[in-house]
Amino acid sequence: MITRETAKKSLHVPVRAVIKGVKDEAPGVRTLLLEPVEGQFPRAGRVSRPGQFNMLGYPGVGEAPISYSMLPPGKTDAKAEELFGHTIRRAGRVTGYLEKFKEEDEIFFRGPFGRGWPVEEARGKHLLLITGGLGLAPLKPVIEMAPSLGLAGATLLHGARTAGDIIFKAELARWKTGGAVEIGLTVDNPPGNFFKKRQDRGLEGFEKAIGEIRTGLITELIRPLQIDPAKTVAFICGPEIMMRFASRDLMMKGMGGAGIYVSMERRMRCGTGHCGHCQIGPWFTCKDGPVFSCAQLRGLPDVII
Amino acid sequence: MTGVNASQRNYRVILPENALARWLEWLGGFYTLTGPVGGGVAARFTEISKFEQMDLDYQSTMLPPGKKYLFEPVEEVLSFDVSEGVFSSGPYPPGRKRALIGVHPCDVNAILYLDMVFLSGPYADPFYRARRENTFIIALNCKSVTGLCFCHLVGAGPYLKAVSGYDILLTEIGEEEGAERRGGKNRKFMVELVSEKARELCDVFPFSMGEQPEEKDFEKMSRMEAALLKSFRKNLDMEGVQSALLSRPDHHALKETADSRCLSCSNCVMVCPTCFCHDVMDKTDVSLSRSRRVRRWDACQDISFAQVHGGNFRAQRHARLRQFVYHKLDYEEQFGRKGTVGCGRCIRWCPTGIDLTEIARAMME
Repeated sequence: MITRETAKKSLHVPVRAVIKGVKDEAPGVRTLLLEPVEGQFPRAGRVSRPGQFNMLGYPGVGEAPISYSMLPPGKTDAKAEELFGHTIRRAGRVTGYLEKFKEEDEIFFRGPFGRGWPVEEARGKHLLLITGGLGLAPLKPVIEMAPSLGLAGATLLHGARTAGDIIFKAELARWKTGGAVEIGLTVDNPPGNFFKKRQDRGLEGFEKAIGEIRTGLITELIRPLQIDPAKTVAFICGPEIMMRFASRDLMMKGMGGAGIYVSMERRMRCGTGHCGHCQIGPWFTCKDGPVFSCAQLRGLPDVII
Repeated sequence: MTGVNASQRNYRVILPENALARWLEWLGGFYTLTGPVGGGVAARFTEISKFEQMDLDYQSTMLPPGKKYLFEPVEEVLSFDVSEGVFSSGPYPPGRKRALIGVHPCDVNAILYLDMVFLSGPYADPFYRARRENTFIIALNCKSVTGLCFCHLVGAGPYLKAVSGYDILLTEIGEEEGAERRGGKNRKFMVELVSEKARELCDVFPFSMGEQPEEKDFEKMSRMEAALLKSFRKNLDMEGVQSALLSRPDHHALKETADSRCLSCSNCVMVCPTCFCHDVMDKTDVSLSRSRRVRRWDACQDISFAQVHGGNFRAQRHARLRQFVYHKLDYEEQFGRKGTVGCGRCIRWCPTGIDLTEIARAMME
């Protein structure tokens, strides 16, 4: 049997955690707050950074790569709670299983893996965050550390399918009041759409706090933007097709591919650069990414960006 | 093999085959001897007890020795005891110390490539590392090339140029004059002790039965290498490949080959000595008492390989074939060298004879 000492040596052995909170964010989307209880976390010499991910799962079911939506303590984040969080949408076998977890249940993870958002590059510049759907989750830690990043300014543009699908409503309202970040929201289907009506219940208070929610694709919010290409850094996270059009709109405004960062999603098995599933051209999404600059991805096959 | 300095020469000796056989059988006391059995292009590496079982004239194997023994086709990496709630991983090293005898230069280079995959990144794989440390590699320079070999294009053969990462290098340099051995000729081998491990081992077993190589022996090796280099039939402009492939990802040669001939059978990937992709799956016992995490060779030719929620980045067959061709001939940024060692296995074992060098050549025109 393996002891804790030997477990530290193996990248194959997951760390045990207990779920300390479950929060419903939107239909099918939940945030799990985790407290690691056994094993070495984070791995020696590795600090959790925004944009990194853990391989989250349960033995017998499998693992799925999920980005941090809340960083563990002891980091540049001002949060001092003893927990870290992952926001998960039910999509496949593993995430479907994780959705059934309740408070005090056990869960296992390995990580953190990957390179995160290059937040230091945004120092002194305007940080433009463009997110779609669940893509807001990996950027939530960036927004929360924004006041300490020495930014010239920050803008968050978020798009969702319906108003009911907007995650982190309380946080969005808080960020709006905090004033560190300007917020623009858009939905594909406007509130009151006949088929989506049920999901839009209880949104009145949110709309009052957040202001106008536009209707249309995320690019509707990007096009009117006035940006100084040399003094702007963009972090984009969302479905790949949305990241394609968002990054192209920014390039049309004069931004270079090196200043536009996207978080890629690929099938992953190991998280450590060995299994090969997540390769995008010469890159491994797990260890060279998941955050890439558009310049790194330009011209590679099997990429929509 | 010219320009050898004096200190290197001290670790070289010319051994007749019968002496080499005795020495290798002595080595069997320390290592499980593993060598090529059955000749030609379909030899196989397997455990042996006698030197005579091996065919050192073999040209190629189906499964590459490095991948077969260092990165096992199916391996349990983790086990979870459900009732106890504890994990176990290992033990490392799994298995005995092994000596791989007669590994061709392409396959040695492939092992060096796998080293980069599993040991050089931010995470080293403990299973691979344990096996690698327990493996003694005796390389063998080629004495013939097949029509499908193109190792000379990527510097992976036919003579081994790497100076570390393996232990001993053998080169057949002719036959002993007048010596008869079991009715056959007694061949002579240049034996070069490359690693510290090999040099320490040979302190115990003196090389008195061999002779010091002379300048004419090295000249002979150079002549043999030059002659071999002339016998390659495959050629490709490797400098031009990189720019040509990435600029034409939808080239008709790729699409037509994929649509008309590729079966997505994954043979190319399975026999490739540098293909490292694997799947990881959890298997729970029927008794529900234990769950095992197993990794298994996987192939980019499989349709679900790049599937994610909401889509598949390589749903089309030509996209999957392209991933294989590009990974072998392009993508040098990944590990600082091309993914191919020019062994020609993917061509030989493709049921429809798809040739990645032919695809690349068509794409460069």
